[in-house]
Amino acid sequence: MKQVNFYYCAKLTFDDYVHNHSFALRVIPPETETQRLLSCSLNITPYVSTQQTVDAFGNNVTAGYLKGDHRFLDFEIKGAAQVDHTKHRTDYMPCYLYQSQYTKPDEALKEFYEEIKRECTGTIAERAEYLCAALANTVVYEKGHTDTDTTAAEAFVLKRGVCQDFSHILISLLRMDGIAARYIAGLAFCDGETHSWVEFWTGDHWEGIDPANNCLVNDDYIVISQGRDFRDCAIDRGVMFGSYTKQLQLVRSILS
Amino acid sequence: MVQLKQGQFMQAVGNAAEINELLRRYGVKFGIYKNGVFNEQFFPFDPIPRVITAEDFCSIEKGLVQRVNALNEFLYDIYHEKKIVHDGIVPEDFIYISKGYLAECEGITPKNRIYSHISGIDLVQAKDGEWYILEDNLRIPSGASYPLIARELTRIAAPNAFEENNIVDNRGYAELLKETMENANCGGIRAILTPGRYNAAYFEHSYLAELTGSVLVQNDELFVEDNILYHRTYSGGKTRIGVLYRRISDEYLDPLTFLPQSLIGIPNLMEAYRSGNVGIVNALGNGVADDKGIYYFVPKMIKYYLGEEPILKNAPTYLPFYEDDMKYVMDHLETLVIKDVAEAGGYGVVFGSDLSKEKLEEFRKTIIAEPRRFIAQEVIDFLDLPIVEGNETVMRKADLRAFVLSGEKTKVWASGLTRFSRNPDSFVVNSSQGGGFKDTWVLSR
Repeated sequence: MKQVNFYYCAKLTFDDYVHNHSFALRVIPPETETQRLLSCSLNITPYVSTQQTVDAFGNNVTAGYLKGDHRFLDFEIKGAAQVDHTKHRTDYMPCYLYQSQYTKPDEALKEFYEEIKRECTGTIAERAEYLCAALANTVVYEKGHTDTDTTAAEAFVLKRGVCQDFSHILISLLRMDGIAARYIAGLAFCDGETHSWVEFWTGDHWEGIDPANNCLVNDDYIVISQGRDFRDCAIDRGVMFGSYTKQLQLVRSILS
Repeated sequence: MVQLKQGQFMQAVGNAAEINELLRRYGVKFGIYKNGVFNEQFFPFDPIPRVITAEDFCSIEKGLVQRVNALNEFLYDIYHEKKIVHDGIVPEDFIYISKGYLAECEGITPKNRIYSHISGIDLVQAKDGEWYILEDNLRIPSGASYPLIARELTRIAAPNAFEENNIVDNRGYAELLKETMENANCGGIRAILTPGRYNAAYFEHSYLAELTGSVLVQNDELFVEDNILYHRTYSGGKTRIGVLYRRISDEYLDPLTFLPQSLIGIPNLMEAYRSGNVGIVNALGNGVADDKGIYYFVPKMIKYYLGEEPILKNAPTYLPFYEDDMKYVMDHLETLVIKDVAEAGGYGVVFGSDLSKEKLEEFRKTIIAEPRRFIAQEVIDFLDLPIVEGNETVMRKADLRAFVLSGEKTKVWASGLTRFSRNPDSFVVNSSQGGGFKDTWVLSR
């Protein structure tokens, strides 16, 4: 068990005024068996009235609508949580067993799985760790080659990627192996930005595994959102009107 | 045979040209995209009505109410406990591989637990008089406006036909639709959302809005604030919408939940819907229940949820997914009709009898490679109906789309859209495939 303080802020700036701006943020960490929120506050500027819901995957959604002209949208979340990975989450959904938009394998990824599956034996946890290690031996962590639209198959061709890509490829492999898996977006000590990792279903509960670091998840990780893949976990989604070039500038995230 | 006063048909037939001219003038059209080009087509009307006896209609009505009630139970179950999967009635794969299943809708309960408010159930009558279900359409089926307006015009052209025969008035559809929308209303005005005049069902949207006293809206007039859906009024104010009738596909409905590139959706509509602040007619995620693969399981659903025997039969259907069925399909491919479960509107339908030996072989391989993608059905020898062609009457294949509305109670509209194939060799009657339509007369006794 560990008490962790978290801080995350993002600043969206536009090079021209925008209006009729609808947004949905998935930034408030869910309260789960593994993490208890001791405190949490979300600050959005300019001031806007917001509503909270919980989506199908268990994520807290903060929705708002900024009608008038504005040039930026900032949000900042801070709080403290008690994290205890000896306690397990059990919020299973059958859709996690099936490939989704980002994880659908192409022939190359299927072939890779066929090559390594002979060695993939043992318990579900052992198989997951094996697949994670096989991935770490094949794909290199390197920024600048992929973006948020890159699928598992595309990143696998490049043999390079960031945490999001590692997560998508591992989820794809796990699902091919008949193991239900989900995408996690969150914060971790080892990373200065938001991080992403994977949870696999043991048949009884979820276990976290971090493919970008090829290690198991411990109390140094805070979950912000979960879903079938990145699509369900985007921290912010928005639609606005005006002539502008959107810019998302991540300011910082800290765990302490 | 049905007892109708002599001469009435002939009068109607004599007026066919006049009625079609009126339809043209009223703009009764449907749009179709072919090779990326939008064309509006005239939907040809045939003056000889299909007549359904009171007795036949009574059993069809009971069967349809039963079927739609079971489908609504199924949808609730799939997005909540999934008992039918746990109990082994429907294999898990059929649910989660279906394009119509939306994980985003898990746990959402629409008002009064109704998912399919307007169901279009396609039936055919076989030569022996038995009715068979061909397909369920639970994602706002179109077509109700055509028999409505055709009836209106026939009344003008041949008024005696309605005085001298006991035909159930079909003008109650507007009231029925209004009732159904009101039952789904979460507080506010009724609105019909149209993607605009380049949409296949634009005529229908505007016509239904007028009939039901709903506001016809486009997405740029709508916005969600504090998880409530509003209509922007001309004076700069806002009016709350309590129920939204839409024919836009689920994945285009909210760019913040589904396809981000959708320009015809309403951002955060899903949040308003999830919060129970707006009813959406029909509900999102219904595609999982009208999937051609799921069709096979509907009679089982009726037994499972209602504990009743199905009143209306499915066409005999085989799922290559099951080993026994695969064997049957392989052995009888040349006499079966094969449907691609992902296609709609008469596309992806192949008759084994139309294929050459080589094509049959090729198709066998495709089915073996992707068994989940296809269903196979026996070809039903359906009753031909007379249509007027030039100066003569010829017999053509026809089906019936019955409209079932689920409000406080589930009701069947005593009319429907009878579509026929103009091609004498074709069984495919979809309007997008060049077919025409007839009025459907349900007799009161």
